[in-house]
Amino acid sequence: MKFIKENGPHIKNSDTTSKIMTRFLISLIPIVCFVIFKNTVLVYFFTSETLISVLHPIFMIIVGVLTSFISELLWFKLVNKTNIKTSFLELYRSFSIIPGLLLALVLPINTPLWIVAFGAFCGTIIGKMLYGGFGQNIFNPALIGYLFISVSYNALLGSPLNAYELDTLAGATPLTNLTSLNYFGTYDSIVGSYGTLLNFFSGTIPGTLGEVSKLLILIAFIYLVITKTIKWRIPTTYVTTVFVVTWIIGNSLGLGIWYPLFHILSGGLLFGAVFMATDPVTSPLTPIGQVLHGISLGLLTVVIRFLTPYPEGVMTSILFMNMLVPLFDKIGVRLRYNIKRIYIPILIYLVITILLIINIISNINNNKTNGIDDVGNKVKIIEIKKDGNKKIYNVTSKGWGTIKAEVEVVDKEIKSIIVTDKKDETQWNELEKVDYIYKVITNQKDINKLDAVSGSTFSSEAIKNIIKKVLSEELK
Amino acid sequence: MIRGLKLEGKKEMSLSEEIIDFSSPSRVCVPLMNNNTSCECLVKKGKKVRKGTIIGIRKNMDFPILSPVSGTVIGIDKCLYLNGEEVDCVVIENDKKENVIKKTLVKDITKYTKDEFVELLRKCAVTGMGGSDFPTFFKYKSDASFLIVNAVECEPYLTADMMLVKLKAEVILESIDAIRKINNIKKCFIAFKENNEIVRNAFLEYIGNYENIILSPVKNIYPMGWERHLVKSVLNLEYDRYPSEVGVIVNNVSTIFAIYKALKFQRNITKRIVTITGEGFTEPINVLVKVGTDMSSIIKKIGKYRGDKLKFIAGGPMMGTALPTDHVVVSNNLGAVTIISDTLDEINECMGCSRCIKVCPAKLCPALIMKNINNVDELKKLHPELCVECGLCSYVCPSKLGLRDSVINAKKKVK
Repeated sequence: MKFIKENGPHIKNSDTTSKIMTRFLISLIPIVCFVIFKNTVLVYFFTSETLISVLHPIFMIIVGVLTSFISELLWFKLVNKTNIKTSFLELYRSFSIIPGLLLALVLPINTPLWIVAFGAFCGTIIGKMLYGGFGQNIFNPALIGYLFISVSYNALLGSPLNAYELDTLAGATPLTNLTSLNYFGTYDSIVGSYGTLLNFFSGTIPGTLGEVSKLLILIAFIYLVITKTIKWRIPTTYVTTVFVVTWIIGNSLGLGIWYPLFHILSGGLLFGAVFMATDPVTSPLTPIGQVLHGISLGLLTVVIRFLTPYPEGVMTSILFMNMLVPLFDKIGVRLRYNIKRIYIPILIYLVITILLIINIISNINNNKTNGIDDVGNKVKIIEIKKDGNKKIYNVTSKGWGTIKAEVEVVDKEIKSIIVTDKKDETQWNELEKVDYIYKVITNQKDINKLDAVSGSTFSSEAIKNIIKKVLSEELK
Repeated sequence: MIRGLKLEGKKEMSLSEEIIDFSSPSRVCVPLMNNNTSCECLVKKGKKVRKGTIIGIRKNMDFPILSPVSGTVIGIDKCLYLNGEEVDCVVIENDKKENVIKKTLVKDITKYTKDEFVELLRKCAVTGMGGSDFPTFFKYKSDASFLIVNAVECEPYLTADMMLVKLKAEVILESIDAIRKINNIKKCFIAFKENNEIVRNAFLEYIGNYENIILSPVKNIYPMGWERHLVKSVLNLEYDRYPSEVGVIVNNVSTIFAIYKALKFQRNITKRIVTITGEGFTEPINVLVKVGTDMSSIIKKIGKYRGDKLKFIAGGPMMGTALPTDHVVVSNNLGAVTIISDTLDEINECMGCSRCIKVCPAKLCPALIMKNINNVDELKKLHPELCVECGLCSYVCPSKLGLRDSVINAKKKVK
């Protein structure tokens, strides 16, 4: 009798790659359900939107999934020249729908469908297939798609508010709001306009499709850890780092425990930490490498949130840290056999963290004390023309670039603003949509209470600063 | 921390009250192998031999290979050895008279000096019967303070050691006691899996009569029977290369039984218990066979193969070698043959789940070793030479990759 000769071991664990990926998809089902509930069911019953328009988020998910599926199928067919049957088998084994699904979940609700398709296509082809397919890619494919969208069509991304939120909430996402407040404010100004932190936890705040319900993300995390599907060290160290750093910052500014909680509960932090930073292919293998990866992600996210004009930092951090994965693994391997040297990375990270915190706190304090000078620096009066009791101010103001405008003042009151140069303001259309300039003029007496337009914070602030500057000039 | 994984035992299928005696084959083929080293043949065709006659020798260690039967040498032939290779074997026609060179019966087996004991182990060709086949006398050359008797048998399916303990617990304890007194060992430990009631009860019956022999239950994980794990678990000691560095000797329980034969009768072990088991065999059982027996002849007498795409494994399913045929000869270190179906794996790319790294008892990074298999400089930093070939990395891999093969390959590359 002949027997099969094969190298051992001759028994294997019953878990397979497909089972792992299936569990990953299962954990996303409640989140997709919540997207539909929040943005379709709720909006349909509480606003006068048409059925077609409330179905948009569902279409986004379907388009994302289908595009990544089809683009991978085409790749197999046209580039690898496999026949249809093997192509489908390959597709099943490479879990082609995941990048498209994740991409749709990190986009704001009003994103046009063709942009979703464009992102999913770029993510799948450039982020995954060009590297050689599943298991070979360096970057998270969904985030490559996100990168392509934000580089090419950031202006068209659309507002993250659904129709129901547009009726009830003013302005932007919590993080955009925080950025426009210069990272400092009271509980009411930072959290209050969206309800309480409980709203943040349950997900009834504006944000991208999938990121809002922290409760469901937490449940998914627990499920994925219990079933040993993801590397738990990365999300836990990531979120802990953000929590600790923002807690120290908040504490030294005299803000309560709600401040760090606000930071971990807003934006895509939890979603990114659980579903994207843990992507097995693009995260470190060694336990120490995973911890370093998580801490680095946390620090970079804090840097982006506090020290750059970008309100969110999760996706960029994960994409950037993907590049450093081999380095983290190298350190992880060295320390695995020589654990005594662990003090080196601990020291380095400690120094970086302390410097970062000092920098951020002094930055916020500067903004607090120099609030008015800040406006003075950003807005320049070029010339003042007098015409009877009418004065024309020729000003420049810093937004994304430099805005030039002519402001007409009669009797210490602004009558009109004519913007003569706005070529650097990529998201100007958002302002036009809501007729922001008109709003600014009518609210000039109480300009600080007017919110910025979401998705176009910097242009909005630039216009507001013009008002502040001109009025303070008039009052002199 | 002791790393490992709880595996499904599947031991009950081959457990029984008795073992079947097949120890008088008409001829035997004794492999001229010791610890994977070929040995020189010392007999010619037609020579009459008795039990204990030297038929081969391992030159570099002056270590003999002894005949397990009495009869006539027919010749030298190539036979399938448990490592999957065809090796030279001395074929002896068994006259079934069981004549020995010299009949001895030692009354008090504790009355040896240490030097006599070491020489006796060498003369009687006692080797590690747990699988290594390493000459045991070597371990007793240096002084030791502790002896750990390995009755863990952590491989799934295997029950040969368990059956031996069940039937010979009293003799094993006597042997341990003698070894302890001869070698001035402070304490002896018998390590067994904490959930193994058969071994515990078998020893508990007699252990009251002996001082300084301690039953030491260990965790039910694989590979708990690895020396390093045992020393760490029982004595909480760690060592660099060999347990002797910290004054510890680790012996398999069947080796202890072989030592008893040497002490009591001053001759070699000629038989051993072999487990024939697995879902691919109708009558899983333990048998008593002569060293040199062709396993296929015994399997034919007991039962049939069932199922298709079967694997015939010399040893357990984790560390054993799949053989092309069932004509494997019994050697000292063959504890079992396992017949199971192929796992029919769906092989995928490495997804980086890091399970192999988490589970590796030697703290290796198998996935990284596989990725860097062509980069020798990088491989050296990953220390593949520490691998014990337990196979857990391949076992846990969800992509069903041959990680152990990669690591073994890497081991050769860094040498």
